[in-house]
Amino acid sequence: MVHLVDTSEVRAENVDDYLELVRDVGVAVMTDAGATFVSCATTSREVGEAVHVQVVWAFDDHERWNEIRRNLVLDPRWYEYGARAATLRTGGTRRFYTPAPLSSL
Amino acid sequence: MLRRFELYALHPDAPVDCVRALESACRQCGQFIPEVLDSAVGTNRSVAPVQMVWEHAYASAEAYRRYMVHPYHAVVLDRFLLQDSPERIVVDDPLGAGLVGYSCDGPSYRMMSTGVRRLVLLRLEAQSSPEEEARLRDALERAPEDAPEMTVSVMGANTMGAAWFDGVTPMTGPPRWTHLWEQGFSDLDALESYRHGDSRTAEAERSGWTRAVGGIVKRSVEIFYELMPGTGGTQTSG
Repeated sequence: MVHLVDTSEVRAENVDDYLELVRDVGVAVMTDAGATFVSCATTSREVGEAVHVQVVWAFDDHERWNEIRRNLVLDPRWYEYGARAATLRTGGTRRFYTPAPLSSL
Repeated sequence: MLRRFELYALHPDAPVDCVRALESACRQCGQFIPEVLDSAVGTNRSVAPVQMVWEHAYASAEAYRRYMVHPYHAVVLDRFLLQDSPERIVVDDPLGAGLVGYSCDGPSYRMMSTGVRRLVLLRLEAQSSPEEEARLRDALERAPEDAPEMTVSVMGANTMGAAWFDGVTPMTGPPRWTHLWEQGFSDLDALESYRHGDSRTAEAERSGWTRAVGGIVKRSVEIFYELMPGTGGTQTSG
């Protein structure tokens, strides 16, 4: 299993709009393409820092991701999702994680 | 072989260190994905609305498919490119040529590791026949015979523009640019010498292709770029 972890830096006043976009558009676009929604979480809005919104998606492996990426490229909603998300965030990171079983150490 | 170009229009506010990271990711791709051959990065010197070009090749469609599923592709390259990535630094391609490329029998596109690459994107008349296209290709590929400044001249159908998923199967409709003509020059002066020279192809280009080689070129646009030192020219892996 691979986890795609998008962490976006969002101004506090835009967090609700960003979460709404993920809920209303992002989840549909990503799951229709073949990814599984895992979680969405934010850092605190009450500590005077920019808020980090972390959204996690899952899929079996990079071969499956290649198919998901193809489906995204062919989905007009993905372009809208990306464009709207870009207007709401000020930065961020995208990382792919694979399990690291501690029991094997 | 599959010859492939990605043309990047950078976001005006893209941080310089991120742009350098994308350049580096493209340049080093062959070290991580051995199927990626002749990987080089160029800086646009033409008026085309892109800033960076990544040129490379694959020995076969099978090799291309291994590139497509390689983690380096998804993890490192796409980080800067995909529409929904928080680290995206490119904007939608205004040229209609974000990804172009053609099939060829061998690496006839190779040139020295530095120099200037010129891509002439062509839109041929839809009703042009295979024979007319073959005559055009022959004329363009023989251009160096009376334009010695041109060290590379290869023309091909832009198959990669639609067959971006597996290198063979069109995923989308016909691309805006049906063909491309890839050229190589030692430097910008050599390119300028060609453009202002009296070769048949230079004259055809200056005439807007109206009377040239069958008149089947409907539209064209050029992009030329300088290869960054330390990239390109040689095969990075077999």
